[in-house]
Amino acid sequence: MASTVIGAGITIDGEITADEDVVVHGTIRGKLTAKDAVTIEQGAVVEADVTGGAMVVAGAVTGNITSSDRVDLQSGAKVVGNVKASRITIADGAQFKGNVDMDV
Amino acid sequence: MAEVTVIGRGTRVRGRVVGAASLEIQGHVDGDVSVEGDVTVDAEGLVGANVSGRRLVVRGAIKGDLSGSEAVVLEEGARVVGDVRAPRIAIAPGALVRGYVQTGSGEGRPRAAARPAVRAVPTPVKAAPKPAAAPAPVKVVAAPKPAPRTAPVALAGAAPPMGRSPAAPAATAPKGPPPPVVPALKKGAKGALNKKKAH
Repeated sequence: MASTVIGAGITIDGEITADEDVVVHGTIRGKLTAKDAVTIEQGAVVEADVTGGAMVVAGAVTGNITSSDRVDLQSGAKVVGNVKASRITIADGAQFKGNVDMDV
Repeated sequence: MAEVTVIGRGTRVRGRVVGAASLEIQGHVDGDVSVEGDVTVDAEGLVGANVSGRRLVVRGAIKGDLSGSEAVVLEEGARVVGDVRAPRIAIAPGALVRGYVQTGSGEGRPRAAARPAVRAVPTPVKAAPKPAAAPAPVKVVAAPKPAPRTAPVALAGAAPPMGRSPAAPAATAPKGPPPPVVPALKKGAKGALNKKKAH
């Protein structure tokens, strides 16, 4: 299955709606809605609300993260915003500021 | 690691895409695409606004202007509604284009387009005053008397078809062909000529 890759040199100003996996290396400003997994690699800058399935965050996210599955903040991640997911892991070294809502 | 950005088949981008990398569009993009790398729009790709990049290869649908700094290649299956501007343009059989297509240097600047077109025209005009007087037609007025009679007539005949294009090289071409301005005959010049001939 194809996936959308937003490369390192690309900046997208606007909404992205994807029916598939999204891997972000570049910059997104606006809104990111994916049906499947979202991977925000190190070096990526996401100034948007991110909605999707399983998420792995290793870059900088300024915005709310809503996941239908799990959210993994890896070391190097910098998240400023609320996270809503059923499962969450925050690795040592990840920076996080916001609410966590695990649908309890 | 990922040098090429791929906007996948099920992805829809509503906004601008800018960057320094190359881009492959398999989904929908409803906004300007302006990258410094190559842009490939696949057969399922749909772009609803202008696309500019280095080398554009189009197999999908684009409703907007295409501007390649190197080349634009429209392959079979391409559907473009909009202008296409690039130094080199290839339109393969089966590609559909509706718009202004312009090849040549310059990224769609109207002056750059006018200049090569106008350069071709002054050469027949230059041929006319050549036998009469080699220097610029403006100088021809001061030259020996028989010359002004032939040169302005030739220029007057050639100037109207060129329309407004002579104005462009006159203003913008410092070392190009001399501006093909019809030299104005001073009032009574023809009369003076006839008088002199009578003498």
